[in-house]
Amino acid sequence: MNSQHTHSIDPTANLSGQAVATPEPEPPKAPPRKSQPPSTRTAMQTSIQNSPEGKTMIEIDDLSFSYDNGKTNTLHNISLDIPEKQVTAFIGPSGCGKSTLLRCLNRMNDLVDTSCITNGKIKIMGQDINAKHVSPIELRKQVGMVFQKYNPFPKSIYDNVAYGLRIQGIKKKSVLDESVERSLHGAALWDEVKDRLKDSALGLSGGQQQRLCIARTIAVRPKVILMDEPCSALDPIATAKVEELMLELRKDFTIVIVTHSMQQASRISDRTAFFYIGELIEYDNTANIFTNPSVKQTEDYISGRFG
Amino acid sequence: MEPVQNPFSQQRNSQHAKETAVKVTLILFTYTIIIAAIAIFGKIIYEGSPVLWQKGWSFFTKKPQTLFVNQVEKGEGIEIPAKNFEGLLANNPDAEHWLANVTEFEKPADFIQFDLLKNSRIGSGYLSELESLNPDFYIIYTERDIDSPVGFIIQSDKEFSLPQADYDALKAADPTLLPDEHSKREIKLNQFRITLAAGEYPIGKDAHDALVSTELVFQMRQTFADDEPDKINRTVIPYDQTITVSGNVYFTAFDEDERGTLPLKSMEQIPFTRTFHDFTLPASSYHTLAHALAILEKHGVQHNHDTAKGSIIVNENTRQLTAPRAFWDALTRSNPQLKTANVTTTTVNTPFVRFDISKDTEILLDTEDRESIAAANDATGKFKTTSEETHSYSGGGVIGPIIGTGLLVIICMLVALFTGIAASVFLNEYARKGGFVKTIRLAMLNLAGVPSIVFGLFGLGLFVILAPCVTSTPKSSSAWMVPLVKIGSQPDLRIIEQKQIYIAQHADLGSSELSTLAAADGAKHVYDGWIWLSLQGWGTSILAGGFTLAMMVLPVIITSCEESLRAVPMGFREASLALGASKWQSIRTAVLPYAFPGILTASVLGITRVAGETAPIMFTAAVAEKSELPWEGLKSTGFDAFLDFLQSSAQALPYHIYTVAGRIPQSEYTQPMQYGSVLVFMLIVMFFAAISVGLRIRVRKKLKW
Repeated sequence: MNSQHTHSIDPTANLSGQAVATPEPEPPKAPPRKSQPPSTRTAMQTSIQNSPEGKTMIEIDDLSFSYDNGKTNTLHNISLDIPEKQVTAFIGPSGCGKSTLLRCLNRMNDLVDTSCITNGKIKIMGQDINAKHVSPIELRKQVGMVFQKYNPFPKSIYDNVAYGLRIQGIKKKSVLDESVERSLHGAALWDEVKDRLKDSALGLSGGQQQRLCIARTIAVRPKVILMDEPCSALDPIATAKVEELMLELRKDFTIVIVTHSMQQASRISDRTAFFYIGELIEYDNTANIFTNPSVKQTEDYISGRFG
Repeated sequence: MEPVQNPFSQQRNSQHAKETAVKVTLILFTYTIIIAAIAIFGKIIYEGSPVLWQKGWSFFTKKPQTLFVNQVEKGEGIEIPAKNFEGLLANNPDAEHWLANVTEFEKPADFIQFDLLKNSRIGSGYLSELESLNPDFYIIYTERDIDSPVGFIIQSDKEFSLPQADYDALKAADPTLLPDEHSKREIKLNQFRITLAAGEYPIGKDAHDALVSTELVFQMRQTFADDEPDKINRTVIPYDQTITVSGNVYFTAFDEDERGTLPLKSMEQIPFTRTFHDFTLPASSYHTLAHALAILEKHGVQHNHDTAKGSIIVNENTRQLTAPRAFWDALTRSNPQLKTANVTTTTVNTPFVRFDISKDTEILLDTEDRESIAAANDATGKFKTTSEETHSYSGGGVIGPIIGTGLLVIICMLVALFTGIAASVFLNEYARKGGFVKTIRLAMLNLAGVPSIVFGLFGLGLFVILAPCVTSTPKSSSAWMVPLVKIGSQPDLRIIEQKQIYIAQHADLGSSELSTLAAADGAKHVYDGWIWLSLQGWGTSILAGGFTLAMMVLPVIITSCEESLRAVPMGFREASLALGASKWQSIRTAVLPYAFPGILTASVLGITRVAGETAPIMFTAAVAEKSELPWEGLKSTGFDAFLDFLQSSAQALPYHIYTVAGRIPQSEYTQPMQYGSVLVFMLIVMFFAAISVGLRIRVRKKLKW
């Protein structure tokens, strides 16, 4: 793990220069055309790139998703495997479907009445999460989520962290106390807030609030944490702290992060997936994506030529 | 040298005038509202506050009081209870000009405490008086002698001539009614046994009328018209018949001198004797059993009911009771069979005031004060009035309306908030966007535009006369009813007296049979030992009024609740769901608490609106005048009492204002009532609004995001 970590950090330090300046070492694959049937392409890619090392946590198999009862697909035939206890980053221009895919992973899209999965499956820990007998409530306890805009409840810090446990019916104070402290430690927030746990969470700074949201999420001990652009509303210093935290959390949790910041993806992720208009273009180790992308579109995007 | 021409230098003047004109117009319109508000509020406060100041607590009596304006001669040593003296001072600010020698003293009054023993015989009028004097004392149905005793008064001596059968029945029912002396006479009469042959005969109207009441079977070819008494019709006698008829019928129908009589085949005369008993019932007051009185009524006795005399046998065990001496004296005098024990006399000193009136003057008194001053000086005749004018509703009395309005608002807001929050949560959180939701919203918009008087009629139709009710004594006029549970005990008699209940002797009658029997009996309610679910409405009651107001205010509440639900950030819902909350958990813990300030605002709007509505409560809840508060004078206990409370009518402030301002003859004495009531009303609404706004600010501070 550690070696992998340092390995991935190294090339990203001079990512932009390298990516733009050096030509492709391998002949770039032809970018997939719309006319080409996507299933054959993804099937091929799955065999080559989409099975990372380590135990697989989430398997996405040929997933198509629609927001309007299947009239038009927002996601087209996505297949990728997300490894356990690693950070997987989804990148791509706005509207490419990366947040949609992320929200499919804990069935947040159920909130949209007209949404539906038109094709394919998502398996988490080997279980199809859209199967009839799967409760989205139990699923979300295992697959937590941190949102783009930090959204602590207008309650005390303590109550925020204890919220997830309380709705599960845990009322015992000692259990709650222990869990709150552990979660705040886990979110690297304990030292900053230990003296004012009863104060309103809204009195914290933006970065602290986002870390509080992370603490709130890990308090229910999920297996997977989904992060939807967690740093987009934060300043660089707060961002740095959250990123540091993510690298720490990687030891215990599988993390999937959607980000617009290429630097962030390269700094923190082990695996990176690049999406474009609802299709998965490339999915590989982060080092490969940023130093040696196999698809022209990926290279264009990470080098800033579009998007 | 020409000044430099800027492209914008010339434009100012023309535009400036126009801008100013618009601005002034806008200001004028705005200020008109403020001036109107100041004028209205100022007038009410200016006119109303002296009324409240002067009348003080006598303005806040339970019931609108009639104001008596008396021209009083001067007099000395007039006595009045101290609390009524305060009322007198409040109503007469100029009292210092004619009031003299005011001395306070204590006036003793005797009260008798006694035990009423089992099996006492007591007049029903006295019993109900005793019941009203001792609030927790009443004799329930099963504890009374059920043989319906009555009292009656005969104004002048009445001579009776009773046939033997009635005489025997009366003797069996109540021998005390029969005098020792009576004469017996026997009358010899004839009956006729006749035989008619089958056939068709002519018949006159008189003969027909006589034969209709006999056993004879015959069939008319035509019917007799009223305007042709001499016409002869034809009748068919289908077979040979032998019947027995009285002399009257015989001579009318078969006399051969008359036209259109029937021919007889044979006739036999049977003589018999009837015995009559003649006696005289002297003018007096009697008590007896109902069926004995019925026999007398059959023979044409003219009488009045005597409520004091109708005696009732009390089977209940010993009860300790209290009564004033005057009533006790009357009770023991009129009920010699009364069984009492442990009779003790207690003397209670009541503070009184004695004063002189130094010159002929005009004194204003409200109903209570007028009655008590009359009662205190009746014997001495020292309080002499030369003339008296009455002005109804002018002597204060707003506490009843205030409480009634409060209860209506509470019931209304409970109903409206529960329904409104439920509906808005469903519409905003659960319902899929589509035709259904659109239809509901359209219906709501329509509801918001319905005139309030229409809501009043709607409430009358739905809640007052059709709403479902669970009761053991359903109304016989109920639209639909179904039995639920069988209960054993009978309802207590007070309710029977009050509501006229038909008590079914046979169980398991259908609802329509019960209704028919009750209607035939003249009873408005039925009882047969079952608890019924009956669509009979809640009557004119605070419950019906509250529900009507709730229906009216519901669109406002739903719209504002939805608004405040929508103002809760989507992030809260998502965060909560992502933590593993179910939908309802997330709404309960992460949405509703933060929508609370908005909902509070909605309820403030609702309260101020429904508190002021007159039309919806006019038919459903409000009465102009009621001497008891809704929870007073209930005849039942426990949960039944609560239901009775909900089904009692109430006075309401807006309706009270409508009454004093528009429905009574106006005079200089009614005007203060109008301003006073309006001021009180305004203060109350402002008070509630202030409380709610303050509460909202506090809650909002806590829940800011």
